Amino acid sequence: MNMTNDSRQTVEQLEDKLFARFGNERAFTVPDGYFDNLTGKVMSRVMQQESLNRGKKRKSRRTAWRWSIAALLAGCVAVGGLILEKQSTLQTAEAEDTQYIEDALDYTMIDNMSIASYLTEAE
Amino acid sequence: MIDEKALFQQLRNPSTREAAFTKLVHEYQEPLYWQIRRMVLSHDDADDVLQNTFIKAWNAIDGFRQESRLQTWLFRIAINESLNYLSGKKQVLSLDQPEGSIADMLASDSYFDGDEVQQQFQTAIGTLPDKQRLVFNLKYFDEMKYEDMSELLGTSIGALKASYHHAVRKITSFFEDND
Repeated sequence: MNMTNDSRQTVEQLEDKLFARFGNERAFTVPDGYFDNLTGKVMSRVMQQESLNRGKKRKSRRTAWRWSIAALLAGCVAVGGLILEKQSTLQTAEAEDTQYIEDALDYTMIDNMSIASYLTEAE
Repeated sequence: MIDEKALFQQLRNPSTREAAFTKLVHEYQEPLYWQIRRMVLSHDDADDVLQNTFIKAWNAIDGFRQESRLQTWLFRIAINESLNYLSGKKQVLSLDQPEGSIADMLASDSYFDGDEVQQQFQTAIGTLPDKQRLVFNLKYFDEMKYEDMSELLGTSIGALKASYHHAVRKITSFFEDND
């Protein structure tokens, strides 16, 4: 059948010509018994994939667990460090406070004679 | 006819999932295979894409929310897998002369049953862009309604009609040029 170039032809007419010339039957085949064995083949691959997925999940859980422990240890070290740092700062501050108090106490214990002697020496 | 609701419930339950999925594969393997085969043409490729389709479906069961029918969902996965496969293949192979490569492939394919006329027809269909070819196959071979196609492909009916009309005209002009 010759397909003439006629722009006035509707798509339905062109489609009819394709049907008349080629039909719409399947021109492909499959190996004998292909569909009989297909479900088993597909399910075997699906189950293989499922087992891989489970392995990945287990590995991912193990990795997450390891990271959690590492994070916990790092946290403990960090908190311990902070506590030590804090204690050291407190001790320094306490020492400074003690020195200041002792100096203040010394000054309060100065009697009038010592002040007069200090002023005389200064002159 | 499969009871999709019951099957869906079985698929959601881990203890019945495998048996339900086996039922699903058995029910839809053949229509899915032919849909894929028309896109990728060779049997071996269609077999690979079909198996990948079911593996993707298995992995995605928990995400399936019954917004569409199971069948529509599976067909969508199959279509995406076919299009991905074709786009990957195009990156690997040089398709400077797609017409020649399709004709050669079909001629050497022991699972292609068509005569020379059918070979020419597949070659003409093969010149269409992938998505247009998909629309052409669904309408011409499966005689699918535009409404169903719209649900399946998520494309408007107007766009699908335009795509199909364009495909028919292109195929016709392919033969005008080659006759």
